[in-house]
Amino acid sequence: MNALSTRRAGAVIAALAAGSLALTGCSSGGGTGKDKSQTDKDAAGQAKVVPLGTSDQSKGPAAPVAGAQTGGTITVYQRDSFNHLDPAQMYVSDMRQLAKLIFRGLTTYKQDDKGNQTLVGDLATDAGQMSDGGKTWKYTLKDGIKFEDGKPITSKDIRHTIERQYASFITEGPTYVQQWLSGAGTTYRKALPDGPYKGDHLPKSVLDTPDDKTIVFHFKDPQTQLPYALAEAGYSAVPDSDKDTKDKYDVAPVCAGPYKIADFKSGKSMQLVRNTNWDPKTDPVRQQYPDGFSISFNHQYSDYTKRLMADQGGDKTAIGFSNLVEPSLTRQVLTDASASKRLVQGYAVYVWQMNMNMDRIKDKRIRDAITYAMPNAQIVRINGGSYGGENAGGLFSPTVAGYEKGYDPYGKLKKPNGDPEKAKQLLKEAGKTGMKLVYAYANTEIRQQEAVAIADALGKAGFNVQKKEVDAASWYQQMGKVDNGFDIYMTGWGQDWADASTVIPPSYDGRTIQDGSSNYSHVRDQHISDEIDKIKQMTDAKKQTEAWQQLHHYIVEKVDPASPIYYTKVLQLYGSKIGGIRYNIEAGYLDVNTLFVKK
Amino acid sequence: MLPFLLRRTFGAIITLVLLSAFTFFIFFSVGDPATLACGKNCTADNIALIHQNLGLDQPVPVQYWHFLVGIFAGRDFTLGHCSAPCFGYSFATKQDVWSTMIDRLPTTASLAIGGAVAFLVIGLGAGLLAAWKRGTLLDKTVTGASMVLSSVQIYILGPIVLGIFVYSGIMAAPKYVNLTSNPASWFMGLLIPWLVMSTIFTAQYTRMARSTMIEQLQEEHVRTAKAKGMPARYVFLRYAWRGSLIPIVTILGIDLSSLFGGAMITEYTFQLAGLGRLAIDSVKTLDLPMVMGVLIFSAALILVFNIIVDATYAFIDPRVRLS
Repeated sequence: MNALSTRRAGAVIAALAAGSLALTGCSSGGGTGKDKSQTDKDAAGQAKVVPLGTSDQSKGPAAPVAGAQTGGTITVYQRDSFNHLDPAQMYVSDMRQLAKLIFRGLTTYKQDDKGNQTLVGDLATDAGQMSDGGKTWKYTLKDGIKFEDGKPITSKDIRHTIERQYASFITEGPTYVQQWLSGAGTTYRKALPDGPYKGDHLPKSVLDTPDDKTIVFHFKDPQTQLPYALAEAGYSAVPDSDKDTKDKYDVAPVCAGPYKIADFKSGKSMQLVRNTNWDPKTDPVRQQYPDGFSISFNHQYSDYTKRLMADQGGDKTAIGFSNLVEPSLTRQVLTDASASKRLVQGYAVYVWQMNMNMDRIKDKRIRDAITYAMPNAQIVRINGGSYGGENAGGLFSPTVAGYEKGYDPYGKLKKPNGDPEKAKQLLKEAGKTGMKLVYAYANTEIRQQEAVAIADALGKAGFNVQKKEVDAASWYQQMGKVDNGFDIYMTGWGQDWADASTVIPPSYDGRTIQDGSSNYSHVRDQHISDEIDKIKQMTDAKKQTEAWQQLHHYIVEKVDPASPIYYTKVLQLYGSKIGGIRYNIEAGYLDVNTLFVKK
Repeated sequence: MLPFLLRRTFGAIITLVLLSAFTFFIFFSVGDPATLACGKNCTADNIALIHQNLGLDQPVPVQYWHFLVGIFAGRDFTLGHCSAPCFGYSFATKQDVWSTMIDRLPTTASLAIGGAVAFLVIGLGAGLLAAWKRGTLLDKTVTGASMVLSSVQIYILGPIVLGIFVYSGIMAAPKYVNLTSNPASWFMGLLIPWLVMSTIFTAQYTRMARSTMIEQLQEEHVRTAKAKGMPARYVFLRYAWRGSLIPIVTILGIDLSSLFGGAMITEYTFQLAGLGRLAIDSVKTLDLPMVMGVLIFSAALILVFNIIVDATYAFIDPRVRLS
């Protein structure tokens, strides 16, 4: 799951700051007028529960990339610098891309050439051995796995990796495992207030390391999602040695992936070089074709797009980890004979929705009126058209298991620019024609453009819209306040992995409501909370997905806390001398682990 | 001279303290930096924890006092000891503020010095020429061009120049390379930013040089020199030019100090990581230590340049005496 201030959320915030989040284009072939944007058919592979792989699938080395050559340095243009190098603090997309090159965790995603994903063991020999109905998980470490300093990675390092997440200086990373082990919210910190740094450890009944190779997690409740959570960059291995310098580790981490950091100047540049202590035989997904990566920051999307379109000199070997084609240049890129052949695209994980503050709008007829009135197609157009997003009928992204193509209870696909007559009628029935509606939006160019279209559509439906512009940098914090003072506001949400457990509980469980909560609509519905508890106890993935799907229907149709607006897509460019390009479904960007430099 | 320097230095320190106090106290009305480092669990508990980690849980006057003490005597942080002059560690990146500023300074200094050389040579040269040939076609051309160029902003001209020379492949993209490691790359990497940045300045200095020279040429001592039969070129350069320098040096002092403090728009347009870029990023991320560091650093530069400019007057014009 994740919202705003999480990894995906971070990207959403970044997109907000940039003014947009649009994108998408053609993964191959030229584009000269014909719409080759992705459709939900392309996303079908993404909207599946990723199966857990076997120990054989977890073995290295990774399958070689066709035509791959070794050597050369890949130039990377990034807009924003990396704020964190401590993996435990990494949750936003650009840093997750970096993590794929320099860190390793117990599990990871393996993707084949057809886009099928499997969750496999990374440092572990497999994706995990579950017992006790999902309450116990056992991991065994591979042989030959080492940190960049040559020190073998042992179970003590993994225990340390988990326990240091309890320390007070870790505030930005994922919290799934800590909460499952030691308590919801931030109460888990009480189990180990200083982390492992004063010699205290979690009891063996919670986290056990019977030998150097084995780690056993003991949970109070079934946690069938553990292998997926452990694939998060935030749970990458950190050595249990004096090299873990607590909060200073954020500027000098120890790497275990195929590359290590040779130099980092925050806000300027980073150089990655080969990690000679990385053994490809232990790694089922990563390659080490280029000699290194030369990353520079401060490249706005327009600069990145123009440079890679021009494809001159050093830009022939350039990419962006998470930089996207500037939406206003999409058409130019698609009609450029050279650039249109150098695109990678895919569905991103975000669903943009218009949240309705249920503390202030209690009558469902009014919420339905707002949903009917929303001009989805206009908003998609503002965000780059079909290459930037897709009109949404529900609150599940095409990338989450349980997404249903064509699900459209409010007729948003049939009437993409809204149904003002229906909205007007509902408002009249509620006796609220002319109702004042306080609409907050972020002060970015895209959100300002959207605000004009949205206010106009709501006005036609009979609302008296009061627009309030809010600072983009603190947008989610302001919307996250219980008493935020607004009626409606747009937020973006993307799953952490393709399971609805990372979408519904954080967004629609009334028990999470407090300042800072991501239940932005303030949904308080006992049925939803009960169902969440019931579904979490299930161990059959298929039944679980079906149950989430039914709950999704209930939320959209019976509660309607947020109007679905659009699903987002990604479009990136790469230089003509870059090989091994493919879209990484899990990352939501190009795959950094298969790249090579063509000679 | 010494009393003058001491008096001005004392005044500069007072100015810096007042400026830093004002900025420090109003910073907290802008936003809470903890909200940007809060992650997914942005609950009240987590915010409180981050406040504690960043030292924001203490009263603002206490925080400011610690900040001042750090500058003169150094401070201890959980990240380690920070020697004087200590501006602390970045909230956003945990990097040492002083080291970060020192790292960014060469880019900004290169940009400022190179740009200044360009606009002084071209601007003053064109201005003097226009004054020398006053009323001719050359004068009118130079005056007209400077009028046009002074209205072209960097953020408009920059992308156009990039489009013509860089994205077309004629020239490599601007970048900063250390002068000592590769002087040729340093020069070529900054050539476009220098020329674009100096365009507006060149136009301004052309107009200023022309008008002050014309003014000086009408001064009595210049007319007297001419009447005494001195060669026109000698009078122009020895008498008029020297007198016209005072307003130019004054403006140059202000411009240079601003440029050293960070040419924000130029750095942003050409993706150069200097002090200006650092200032923008710090404000965007509510990075108090970095904001304070850049602000004080830039303000100190402005004050130092002003003192130098004032002291320079005496050398340029013997009629001026510092007291």
